[in-house]
Amino acid sequence: MNNEKFVSEEQLDFLREMMNVGAGNAVTALSQMLQREVNMDIPAVRILPAPQVSPILDNPSLPVTCVRMGMVGDATGDLFFIVPDEHKASLIHLVQQATPGPKDTGTAGGRSIITEIGNIVAGVYMRAIHDFCKLNIYHTLPALKIDMLQSLLDGSIAAMSHQAQIAFIIENVFVVEEHRIRTFFLILPPASSVQRLVDSMGQAKMALA
Amino acid sequence: MGEGVITRAPHTISSLGLGSCVAVILYDTQQRIGGMAHIMLPDSGSLNGSQPSYKCADTAIVTLIQGLLDRGAARRYLVAKIAGGARMFANYGKLDNGIGAQNIMTIKRIMKAERIRLIGQDTGGHHGRSIQFHLDSGKVLVTAIGKQTKEI
Repeated sequence: MNNEKFVSEEQLDFLREMMNVGAGNAVTALSQMLQREVNMDIPAVRILPAPQVSPILDNPSLPVTCVRMGMVGDATGDLFFIVPDEHKASLIHLVQQATPGPKDTGTAGGRSIITEIGNIVAGVYMRAIHDFCKLNIYHTLPALKIDMLQSLLDGSIAAMSHQAQIAFIIENVFVVEEHRIRTFFLILPPASSVQRLVDSMGQAKMALA
Repeated sequence: MGEGVITRAPHTISSLGLGSCVAVILYDTQQRIGGMAHIMLPDSGSLNGSQPSYKCADTAIVTLIQGLLDRGAARRYLVAKIAGGARMFANYGKLDNGIGAQNIMTIKRIMKAERIRLIGQDTGGHHGRSIQFHLDSGKVLVTAIGKQTKEI
């Protein structure tokens, strides 16, 4: 759990600030979608070697719902929005409560809800990085899969493994009434894009000072 | 990921959440010594710099064989089992380039060249797998979410 190996403490602070802004926008978007008040804990931002990501879960052998997207533009990589199984039902339920008209209460309905939320979350974080770092980045169409986290990530990690690779992990706990919904957003960039992100963060930080 | 283990009965080696990665298991049925490599990629030639030898199929299998022979295994009693190599995001397009299938193909080719019998496999598909390799019996159990445990 040693962040300093990859970025300085100062850069990590800046990263946290940037992700806080993203998370704030995610709360706004989610509260519009749910049509009720949404709060959140301060997001936990971590940087880990990519192969060591799955221990972030309490039990990595349980399934998670995962929305995978690509990051394209000035920095590239893979993006994953992850909802552990025990938090999925309340999230789907809350969205369905806020949606008028007949509901698809089956699996397909739940899948499209999580996909859409993944899409929104990726959008707000991409915008935060864009605004802070002045990088033009976008995310590509989402694909959803339910399985063990490690199995969902290993293809991406292998594909980029010609360079040492790190993962940016943002843990968001959204609080809606009595529900606490824990989600993760992962950014897995190849080393060249990590460098670009870190450099842009450095320049942006200097411009602020 | 990209690691290897060699041990003897009565130990168990396990690996959690294989997606496109492949677990290659070699077992000496007489001495009950065996090993597992968690292979990420088919070919180390595409990578820059020195890589851990268990990471890529071309270097991992020979390393595993040599490690077993060094610890007293006999080549003629070695058998192989493999699990993994899925394509997790079936419709993901060019970003998911089918590493799992390439891994499996390369591993089988190397097994053939090394004249090691492949006696069990559970590969491909679109789901993750966890495996347990029991060295006392040589049994390999494959578990996957929503599926029955399979013995290979």
